[in-house]
Amino acid sequence: MSNNKIDILSIVASKLGSKVEIQPGHLSTGTIIAQNGLHRDVLKAMIDADEKTGITAITGLDLGATIGVYYHVHTSNAFVTIKAEVPKENPKIQTIVDLHPGAVFHELEVADLLGVVFEGHPTPGHFVLSENWPIGVYPLRKDVKPQEVKLVPTPASEEIKLPENERLVKIIIGPQHPALLEPEKFAVTVDGEIVTKVEPRIGYVHRGIEKATESRTYLQDVYLVERICGICNSIHAAGFVECVEKIAKTEVPERARYLRVIALELNRLHSHLLTLGHAGLEIGYETLFQYFWRDREPIMDLIELTSGNRVYSSLMTVGGVRRDIKETDIPKIKSTLKTLRGQLPFYRQIYQNEPSIKLRMVNVGVLKREDALKLSVVGPVARGSGVDIDVRKDEPYEAYGEIPFKEIVYKEGDTWARMNVRMDEVEESINIIEYAVDHLPSGPFRINTARSVPAGEAVNRVEAPRGELFYYVRSNGTDMPDRVKVRTPTFANIPSFLKTAIGESIADVPANFVSLDPCFSCTDR
Amino acid sequence: MIDFTLIFRILVFPGFTFILLFTLFCDWVERKIEARIQNRVGPMVAGPGGILQPLADFIKLLTKEDIEPRDAKKTIFKFAPLLAFTIMVFAFCFIPVDGTSVFSTTGFSGDLIIILAFATVANFLLFLAGWASCNPYGTIGSARVLTQFLGYDIPLFLIALTPAFIAGSLQIATIASDQAGKFLPFILMAPWAFVLFVITMQAELEKDPFDVPHSESELVGGLETEFTGAKLAFLHLTRDVQVVFGSALVVELFLGGPYGPVIFGPSWIWYTLWFVLKVLAVVLISEYITTVVARFRIDQVLSGNWRILLPAALLSLMLTVALVTWVYPLLV
Repeated sequence: MSNNKIDILSIVASKLGSKVEIQPGHLSTGTIIAQNGLHRDVLKAMIDADEKTGITAITGLDLGATIGVYYHVHTSNAFVTIKAEVPKENPKIQTIVDLHPGAVFHELEVADLLGVVFEGHPTPGHFVLSENWPIGVYPLRKDVKPQEVKLVPTPASEEIKLPENERLVKIIIGPQHPALLEPEKFAVTVDGEIVTKVEPRIGYVHRGIEKATESRTYLQDVYLVERICGICNSIHAAGFVECVEKIAKTEVPERARYLRVIALELNRLHSHLLTLGHAGLEIGYETLFQYFWRDREPIMDLIELTSGNRVYSSLMTVGGVRRDIKETDIPKIKSTLKTLRGQLPFYRQIYQNEPSIKLRMVNVGVLKREDALKLSVVGPVARGSGVDIDVRKDEPYEAYGEIPFKEIVYKEGDTWARMNVRMDEVEESINIIEYAVDHLPSGPFRINTARSVPAGEAVNRVEAPRGELFYYVRSNGTDMPDRVKVRTPTFANIPSFLKTAIGESIADVPANFVSLDPCFSCTDR
Repeated sequence: MIDFTLIFRILVFPGFTFILLFTLFCDWVERKIEARIQNRVGPMVAGPGGILQPLADFIKLLTKEDIEPRDAKKTIFKFAPLLAFTIMVFAFCFIPVDGTSVFSTTGFSGDLIIILAFATVANFLLFLAGWASCNPYGTIGSARVLTQFLGYDIPLFLIALTPAFIAGSLQIATIASDQAGKFLPFILMAPWAFVLFVITMQAELEKDPFDVPHSESELVGGLETEFTGAKLAFLHLTRDVQVVFGSALVVELFLGGPYGPVIFGPSWIWYTLWFVLKVLAVVLISEYITTVVARFRIDQVLSGNWRILLPAALLSLMLTVALVTWVYPLLV
């Protein structure tokens, strides 16, 4: 990779010089403090320097007199946080959507939860909060007590805006719809059978987990963030505890790092098998669904064997893991994985070559590489479009730096490519687990840590089955965090669906949508 | 004088009761085959091996509350499912099960056309049922039913003419008995037509990969969305009778109908046995196709019909005419 040498911080320093304050090494690669609208210039300089620059998340946080708006930006080899602050009385800031379209939902979320006004945003409005949420109450501000919020009654029926052109028909998919397993609304405008517009509305299962973490201790929060997603629960816990460990500068024992990798890969394995099967269901291929879910069952058993729980493994804790793998369990793990590996050629043959699958998936929902970069998509969606981003390779965490594995990239960018990325990653996951089990270091699997965490902040990225999962934790020196920000992969991937669905048949929507592996409970948090 | 034989034949065997029980049995076989292919167990509880499950489902639905949407066109909504069921059963009566049809005759000239027409009318009634429910999903589902059977009825008729041409008759009983007496079963004489007919039947019966009217990820329940209770029970039953009817048609046209070797005793027992076994074989083939493919998209289903199946049906007909005129006379 040629652009590995780009030193993004010095490029920004040479372009903007003394106008911004640069703190190298703080929050991953570095932090740039850019006040008074300079955040746009910094971002522009970064986008010009590196085509892989994208917005990972925008964190809004209550700093007392001001509201902080932190732009977390990833480039091909760095992870930079641009910090801006706006006064609380007049929280206005220039939008960055025109520079980077992928930021559109991140800004809406910050606007909803903290009341920051993004000037020039193309589609302002409620995005996360419900319609009956009182105006002027922003839940993530410190002075808002959740129990004191009075919801305002909504009008009995929602006003439906009909499209101006009479040829167009508006079809509402969701919040309850058989193609969506979780509640989220997509208003699809169709011209005949062709989709011309998709308007999303999320927040139907918003549980306010980010706010809830602020009134619980770090240890309680580990279990709380695990509940963000039932499928990728270990990875959420890992993302959070790594953040806390970074702030507290805790060294995790070697064995715990390998045990975590095993748990995370088991998570990925069962999540990918679930999606590969579910895609079969969406395109009317029930047999495929039944087969995949049959073979997923032994993996669930392995999760139970290694963590004691089948679904919510509750394995991660600050300072290590809560449970060791017994020496006597290792043959069982290996034989189960061997059986699954034996099934893979058959499944791969089906996903690569089965004619009716190809009819429904090839050239459906094509996301070009340029668009994938512009929209900051993550995980298998990005890798299916030829963008080689994988946090496990780009910024290795836990023991991933020591374990050899391949990064799967397909160039086609269609539904077929996204599903095949997952198909091939199943095998890589098996390889990783086998390697980790074979090379399991000896020693303790957890160390005791203090209840309170020193004041500080940390960012952390981990590769969840659905893509990059981002955590930002800010601590104020007590045993409860000051702010926890979670950016889930589906939140980052939904913009790509809005792009790819347009111009395609409405009948392709389910197949296209399931190829994102959407998880709305994650998205809403 | 009352003809008790006729009443018995209409009400019990091979009429209404036999058709009903055979339909429920075939439904069980279908579910069991599908389950076993998909690595499941299928119905298990009601009766030995779950054989009574379809009946239990039917009775359960009959006892459920019957809800009619306010906007539904009441008359059609009420009667279309029942009428569709009646017409399907009536069409079935013309199929020779134990050597003759329900009316103790070998049918009449042209009854092949009549029963194919009945099947179309039944399909149209199902469309009306969905349309009258005034539900968006029901409406789209019925529109798809209509689009699909309008398309696939033409090739179905054309391919059904192949056996008729070889036998030189449009009478089902003659077509079937000719395969036992005069010729070989037509599956051997015109295998291409058999393959085409099975595929077209799959589309007519709206089974995978042609089940776009039921695509639940887009259409919820399709035309059945608003139906509950007894009406839903009859809709389901109509579908099941359609499946058995379609398989029986394949048997009559290509597999030699109910005729087969009579080893001892009365011939009607053996004929019924052969009929049942052959229908089950066709059900097996159809279920196998259903389970091993994904659902096509509606536009793929339609272009497959007009671009592939219709020309193929015409070619098949031309080939048959040529063979019947010049080749088969040399062989027989």
